[in-house]
Amino acid sequence: MSALDTETAVKSAVPAGRRRRRPMTGGLLVGGLIVSVVLGMALLSFVWTPHAPTLVNPSARLETPSLEYWFGTDKFGRDVFSQILMGSRTTLFVGFVAVGVAALVGVPLGIVAGMGSRWLGELLMRGNDLLLAFPALLLAIMFAAVYGASTLVAMVAIGIASIPNFARLIRGGTLQVMKTEYVIAARAAGRGPFAIGLRHVLPNVSSLVIVQASVGFAIAVLAEAALSFLGFGTPPPTPSWGRMLQESQEMLSSAPRLAVFPGIAIAVAVLGFNLLGDGLRDRFDPKLEDRR
Amino acid sequence: MIVRLMQRIAILLASLVVSSVMVFAFMAVLPGDPARVALGTSASDTAVAQLREEFGLDRPLVVQYFNWVQGLLTFDPGNSYISQAPIGPQIADRLLVTLWLVVTGMVLACILAIPMGTLMAVRHRRPSGLILSALSQVGVAVPAFLAGILLITVFAVGLGWLPANGWTPPAEDPVLFLKQLVLPALSLGMVQAAMLTRYVRSAVLDVLREDYLRTARAKGLRPTQALLRHGLRNAAVPVVTVLGLHLATLLVGAVVIERVFVIPGLGSLLLDSVSNRDLIMVQDVVMIIAMAVLLVNFLVDVAYLVIDPRLRVGGAS
Amino acid sequence: MRHQRQLTRHTATVAATLACLLLAACSAGSTADGNADSPDKTSDTLKIGLTAEPANLDFTKTAGAAIPQALLYNVYQNLVKLDQSGKMQPELATSWTLSKDRKTYTFQLVKDAEFSNGAPFTAEDAKFSIERVKSDWTISLKSQMDVVDTVQAVSPTELKVTLKEPSNDWLYRMTTRLGAMFSRTGVGKLATEPVGTGPYTVKKWNRGDSITLARRDDYWGREPHFASVTLKYFKDPTAMNNALLTGTINMIGQMQSPDALDQFKSNSKYKVVEGSTNGEVVLSLNNGSGPMRNPKVRQAVRYAIDHKALVDTCWAGYGKPIGSMVAPTDPWYQDLTNEYPYDRSKARQLLEESGEAGRTLRLRIPTLPYATACGTVVKSQLEQAGFKVKLDQLEFPAAWLSTVFKNADYDMSIIGHVEPRDIQAVFGDKTYYTRYDNPQFRALLKKADRGTQEEQTTYMREAARLLSRDAAADWLFLLPNLMVADKGITGLPVNSVSESLDLTGLSRS
Repeated sequence: MSALDTETAVKSAVPAGRRRRRPMTGGLLVGGLIVSVVLGMALLSFVWTPHAPTLVNPSARLETPSLEYWFGTDKFGRDVFSQILMGSRTTLFVGFVAVGVAALVGVPLGIVAGMGSRWLGELLMRGNDLLLAFPALLLAIMFAAVYGASTLVAMVAIGIASIPNFARLIRGGTLQVMKTEYVIAARAAGRGPFAIGLRHVLPNVSSLVIVQASVGFAIAVLAEAALSFLGFGTPPPTPSWGRMLQESQEMLSSAPRLAVFPGIAIAVAVLGFNLLGDGLRDRFDPKLEDRR
Repeated sequence: MIVRLMQRIAILLASLVVSSVMVFAFMAVLPGDPARVALGTSASDTAVAQLREEFGLDRPLVVQYFNWVQGLLTFDPGNSYISQAPIGPQIADRLLVTLWLVVTGMVLACILAIPMGTLMAVRHRRPSGLILSALSQVGVAVPAFLAGILLITVFAVGLGWLPANGWTPPAEDPVLFLKQLVLPALSLGMVQAAMLTRYVRSAVLDVLREDYLRTARAKGLRPTQALLRHGLRNAAVPVVTVLGLHLATLLVGAVVIERVFVIPGLGSLLLDSVSNRDLIMVQDVVMIIAMAVLLVNFLVDVAYLVIDPRLRVGGAS
Repeated sequence: MRHQRQLTRHTATVAATLACLLLAACSAGSTADGNADSPDKTSDTLKIGLTAEPANLDFTKTAGAAIPQALLYNVYQNLVKLDQSGKMQPELATSWTLSKDRKTYTFQLVKDAEFSNGAPFTAEDAKFSIERVKSDWTISLKSQMDVVDTVQAVSPTELKVTLKEPSNDWLYRMTTRLGAMFSRTGVGKLATEPVGTGPYTVKKWNRGDSITLARRDDYWGREPHFASVTLKYFKDPTAMNNALLTGTINMIGQMQSPDALDQFKSNSKYKVVEGSTNGEVVLSLNNGSGPMRNPKVRQAVRYAIDHKALVDTCWAGYGKPIGSMVAPTDPWYQDLTNEYPYDRSKARQLLEESGEAGRTLRLRIPTLPYATACGTVVKSQLEQAGFKVKLDQLEFPAAWLSTVFKNADYDMSIIGHVEPRDIQAVFGDKTYYTRYDNPQFRALLKKADRGTQEEQTTYMREAARLLSRDAAADWLFLLPNLMVADKGITGLPVNSVSESLDLTGLSRS
């Protein structure tokens, strides 16, 4: 899916050390801002929400937005704003686990495939391609069937399905780094492959990891929403934007606001992570300089 | 070239074998005895044992695996444990439905994305281009099922122009078929289009800076003319690749859309089979999807071989 | 470069072909026969939206309510059936008598009934069908026929059934799927090709979508109004509502999103039916193991639940609190909602006394709309009374069935028990997932089954009260029969008290 993203990013991001600083682009700024807001919301939810987000209150069903309930309440009388705040936690959790799994496996895999012999690299990449035959949603549904529906299970599945994206990208980066003078020098100086990988390759491909992580976050958030919608994601009553959206459906005609808030939250968060990813890529990418 | 092609075919075959083993092994892990699930929770042990024997579930896993593969290869995967109906025709029917949806979605996506992406590239420094860019960013961020729900709310429930959901085979009632196809294909296509525009834009931008285009402009062609005459064809190559790769993800992405629009496609078959623990059906559907993805990837590989002489020599290096 | 061009041209060709296909599909439309919706009595069709699609059509081997809902009374017929007020009516039997010792039933059967495979219906088929329950059926409900001793076909139109002991319940069970009449020559492919004496046959089954029933031309009884009825299945309640709003279906057979009911009530194009069902939504408690063995914890749970608030929030106020395992349409129904009136402080106190206050209770619910909605409320209410609750969602049917139903690996669950008169099935068997084991309760049920009608009512009331006192479970509410249909559809049953969605009375004005 991100073969092209990968290529453009690879061509450019390395070597990272000699990049000159360029001004922030608008996208990067907006993306960074949105991501910080989501992060802030999640942190805030640990210390404060206006109401208990899962408290069912029959006397306050389907309230319209007011000073008391900023975004109104749902059919259980739960405060929508508090749920959105708590939902950001789920969203970030989702992203961290999925991206964590993908990066933890994908990055070493990519580096080994890039540093090893051509034969090894080819073999690893073929195995990698094999994983592509099991798209994220398919894998998540299969996992949910085996281990039951939960956020964690779904996210590990999405993480596994995202491994190929990381591995491919990092391998490309590694191949470039391996051609640089200082690596050649280091090899000539007799440094072992492990040391080179850790000291030279990893730091130099780290910008690629950050870019892909940001994009991966966006993919994970979307996938969580879809899975929750299908009933394979976050189980109730843990607030999740995806499930709020699913629950709002039956009252779309009478209380559309119940769909609007989580819908916007998902879209804005995904937009934020995408913009951040794109922005970082452009920043690391001199080739794109004249396009903006 | 021939060698390369043979190599690709060998890789495809190997991938198919490995993935079939993976799918089978994974399904063998599923908790719950499929025979007991099929018979309901209160079935007697003898009845369960009988069914296990009938479906060969009492045989060693290796034997079961080969029986399964044989069934797939001979296009006769046997009967479902749960519905007791033959699996082959069911999967074929459902696959056809999903293909209609995915291909139409893809066509719509292209119709939307190619002109928009090109426009965005040509005007990438002007406000109109920037607005389109922003729009595509927003489009990528909207989940397809949300787009579906919104489309239903506006065009079906609100305006009453189109049916909210359902599916009719084209042979039965072509007009109704098309009416019912519009909204799901559009929700799939719009989100896809948003993603595609970005690839089209970057591909066209690359082409715009190529020498032959400058030459064309030097010959007196206006930028748009030059682009139309020489550029688009070249820009199409990476876009086609992306299309191929996306066709595979779309197959799975259709799962959610099928649920929203109550379409009896491969996705809903998968979801139903998972919740009924129709093990053999799940296994076959997953394998079919995996096969489709591998096949498309293979075709993209081959297409690359045909297009780009440089790629005939080596991989990523 | 040349290769590139070729490829692009290929893509263009492919795209063009696709476009052509689409157009062709478009223009071919005129050939379809214009089956206009004229109210012609012989060709009128109906489309009904339902929720649970059957996995197959064989209810002798597959449990669940979906198969009899579609087939019973429509494709299969019984000797006796239930009408919508819960009264017994003759169907394939014209009349029946009970012997003095209350053990032998003699049925007079109709003469001219025929199965859809052409075979005539005789007492031999009835004997075959009743005996087959014991020999071939595998579902747990079959035990309700264990009381049958001998079945005798006296003549082609007379059937004698002798029971081992008197049983009021047996005749009632003959109105359920257990009493469905099969053809001796028509049980080869029950899962896909059911053969019955009913007015409809299964014409087409689009798996994952719909089942179409077609009216039989050679039906022995009064022909139903609709020539064909399509049962269309929706996983998602909202999709079903939208289908009715946009005319894809004519009727919603079971409303699963009562919060959306207002949009139909306020619209003069639709009519809304509100009635009663047999579906008790039960907060089942594991009486057999874990903290719920402790009666004080169970009692605390019952005090902690505010049923009025619960019904208001999770089922939009539709649904009647019942207090025990008896549906209001049964003769021995009594209001037991005051056994454990909502009292949060009492719940807290009982929980403290039980010594189980620190335990986390696992509320493991199936992925069904009412369970998900009520689970959220139950958890919140219990937590407010000091309980610690962990909510797990188990996929329905398979995961829930194997974990909760089969292995009883749960503390609490929420499920609608929709089978008629199921107090015995759910609580009378200590191996059932509720693990309720009370000999006194079982003795009462036995007495009720053997006694006269009056005795039956007395003992059933006593049993229901005992069950409620024991806090064997909490009864959240009775699922309402909520149906929505186009204004013109008539004959909608107000109550849904049999296992069947009886299509024979439906009509269009």
